[in-house]
Amino acid sequence: MSKLLEATGVVAGYGDGPAILNGADLSVHPGKVHCIIGPNGAGKSTLLKAIVGMLKVREGDVRYKGESLKGLRPDQILRKGICFVPQERALFPKMTVRENLRMGGYSITDDSYLNNRIGEIEEQFPILKERHSQHAGTLSGGQQQILSMARTMILKPEIVMLDEPSLGLAPKIVREVFEVMQIMAKEGITIILVEQNALMGLKYSDWGVVLDLGRSLFDGPAQEILEDPRIQELYLGGRKDKP
Amino acid sequence: MAELATDEILAARERYNQSIAIAVNKKRSLWFPYLVLALLLVLPALQLIGNFNYVIHLTLFTACYVVMASGWNILGGFTGYISLGHNVFFAIGGYFAGMIFARLDISTIIIAPLAGLVAAVIGYCIGLVTLRVRGPSFIISSLALVMIFRIVFENWEFIGGAAGLALPVNDLPVQWAKLPYYYAFIVMAAIAVWVSYKIKHSKFGLGLRAISKDEIKAESSGINTRLYKVLAFAVSAFFVGMAGAVWGEYLTYIRPNIFLIILISVNMVLMCVLGGKGTIAGPVIGAILIIAFNELFVATLGASEINVLATGLIMMLTLIFFPLGIVGTLAKHGKLPQFLNWD
Amino acid sequence: MTLLIQTLILGIALGGVYALMGSGLSLIFGVMRIVNLAHPSLIMIGAYVAYWPFRLSNIEPMFMLPVAAIILACIGAILYRLVFEREARSAKYSEMTVLLTFALAMVVEGMLGTAFTNTQRITSPDYATEAFFLADIFIPKGQLYASIISIIIISALALFLKYSRLGYAIRATTENREAAELLGVNVNRVGLISFAIGLALAGAAGALVSFIFSFFPSKHWEWIVILMSLVVLGGMGSILGTVIGAFLLSAVAALVGTYFGATWSTLTFFIALFVVLLVRPQGLFGEKPELA
Repeated sequence: MSKLLEATGVVAGYGDGPAILNGADLSVHPGKVHCIIGPNGAGKSTLLKAIVGMLKVREGDVRYKGESLKGLRPDQILRKGICFVPQERALFPKMTVRENLRMGGYSITDDSYLNNRIGEIEEQFPILKERHSQHAGTLSGGQQQILSMARTMILKPEIVMLDEPSLGLAPKIVREVFEVMQIMAKEGITIILVEQNALMGLKYSDWGVVLDLGRSLFDGPAQEILEDPRIQELYLGGRKDKP
Repeated sequence: MAELATDEILAARERYNQSIAIAVNKKRSLWFPYLVLALLLVLPALQLIGNFNYVIHLTLFTACYVVMASGWNILGGFTGYISLGHNVFFAIGGYFAGMIFARLDISTIIIAPLAGLVAAVIGYCIGLVTLRVRGPSFIISSLALVMIFRIVFENWEFIGGAAGLALPVNDLPVQWAKLPYYYAFIVMAAIAVWVSYKIKHSKFGLGLRAISKDEIKAESSGINTRLYKVLAFAVSAFFVGMAGAVWGEYLTYIRPNIFLIILISVNMVLMCVLGGKGTIAGPVIGAILIIAFNELFVATLGASEINVLATGLIMMLTLIFFPLGIVGTLAKHGKLPQFLNWD
Repeated sequence: MTLLIQTLILGIALGGVYALMGSGLSLIFGVMRIVNLAHPSLIMIGAYVAYWPFRLSNIEPMFMLPVAAIILACIGAILYRLVFEREARSAKYSEMTVLLTFALAMVVEGMLGTAFTNTQRITSPDYATEAFFLADIFIPKGQLYASIISIIIISALALFLKYSRLGYAIRATTENREAAELLGVNVNRVGLISFAIGLALAGAAGALVSFIFSFFPSKHWEWIVILMSLVVLGGMGSILGTVIGAFLLSAVAALVGTYFGATWSTLTFFIALFVVLLVRPQGLFGEKPELA
């Protein structure tokens, strides 16, 4: 299978601090939904942040369509078609829903095209159209998550990376959020999902990656990972004595 | 898929977590500060062989700032609350002891601990209010505090208003006139450094440092952060107030524009920042360097405006290039000479 | 009654100038999370830029307003590149930047003091001493003009922030720096531009201040607390809040000055700052305690 994005031997950490990632690998297949699972502190979010340029890749390389992303700024990486939705639902709470969508298309300089895209997205997600003049901070948690995911679609990105989209949401809302993710996948967007709720994440994914100890330990079709007894024991709650 | 046994992974995770923790340098030497103290105690013997009043004055002046900077360090360095208004306590100590000295003729050296206590109580009360905010808010509130005290002191006739009060001069021969103050400041400096050390290595100090790292986590791990912060504020006010008490008598007058100028609090902050905030030796080294530098500057250039400019410049350069200060930066690179490691 | 109205009018006439002095501070805090304690000392530079041409060849201080704005914008860009850019990823960012701007204020004070001494200065164009009369009440022309110009400048700024592409980027960075960066905003460039704009506002304010308050290099310590009080009252980072805070406090200070004496008028700002920080640190219009 050809690879859209490939991270090899990535070493990264925060500021001057110790390396959280110690040679992590990630292979991304076009058009698939990938789920990265692993215990707390394994470096799942760190890997995403290193890929989008928010953290410096100290060693190793990240290649996208054969081209290295190392040393690029987040805004430059975005322009190449890679969007990142961070854990804390990076919205602008005091800007309206529509202004938030407009910020999603900030890198588009053609105003009429941008307005068209906003219109299309609002058609696709009626709740956003309904609430367009409301401040984003007044939306419910689920709606905020939908807005921050929908916002990335304005750019018609190649890859969208979601960092724990289910965090702090009720189970019913979590399903809604995953359904939005499936809409995105149907449009041909490649998705990289980091999920604490590993069972749920893998069920909605095609491919699974297990990250632990700052390295990638397993990598395979999501179904295989779900059924592997060792992974069940270590990461899917099979073994109770150690967290 | 990699072939790894589950137990191996768990063991590896343990090792991995340990590798992230940073090792601490435990080596320290305490003989050096004791040696310095001993030398300082016999220094006035120089007066027997000539006139070294200037040396005595400079040492005394430095010791005064060691008291203040070490005091400031307890709040600003350990706890991470930067106060730009600590000269308020310098003024409180100075005025309290000065007024008693002027009225009842009890030497400020005797009154000093009481003056420190008064400063600490006022500090405790102010801290109860201002320590409810953190970061920039706290810093700004401390600046506002100086402005408020300045206006109040300048308009309070009982304590002499803007003109201040003259204090009696002692009747010792010129050669020995500075000595009581000299020993007072040396002793206070030694106590301030020793108390800093004791606090840093106590449960209280550990709590303060936890607050500085992450106050919310400190609180959720059961530290009474509010009490700890306010106590740290009071202790630091105590030392600054004590220094102020004796300083007034040494100068022979008390006046708002001696105690309540911004340069005094800047010096406290700068000494700690330059030497190394949160370290024991840092404020001492900072005080020595800044006083030496000031003397050099005033002697060669004279103008106080240039002094302000230079002080600001040193502070900017230190913050940009050595944000951890001399001791902190050396320690981080493992190059701190052992005689400066008092922590 | 006349005295009350007269006092309020004098207070409000000053409010516009305070608003302009504070708006740059507020903008810089909003975008960069830098509490710029050097702001008033930089306003002082603007005042000197207006002062010398007036003193030497009687050039109208208001003509120097754009010049002062441009000079300070350049200073801002240089300072940002040299000093603040490298702090952006520092762990104790807000604390570090406060200390840095504090040190910067001393550097500026020292430079101005060395160059121009601590003599009190003021420009005195004709209108600075003239007034309009409405029955028994007078409105000083200087303060009125300065306030009107201030309000025009602030309105232009507000429109720019609301509707321009760069304005979107600035507002987005203000609200959530990380998110803006992820959406393609070059936050570093936005920081540079906002810093320059913030200081341009300081320069413009300086030119206006030159004929309203007498000034000397070390006076900025008093101004910083005055400006912080109105910016904090309005909610740090909110320009509209700053304007409202400016008019409110300026009016209250004028009332205190009239009824209790001029010394206590300045104290109003200091105490207001203290009380607001402690009772409602997010300010009147802030939603969460951003400064805390």
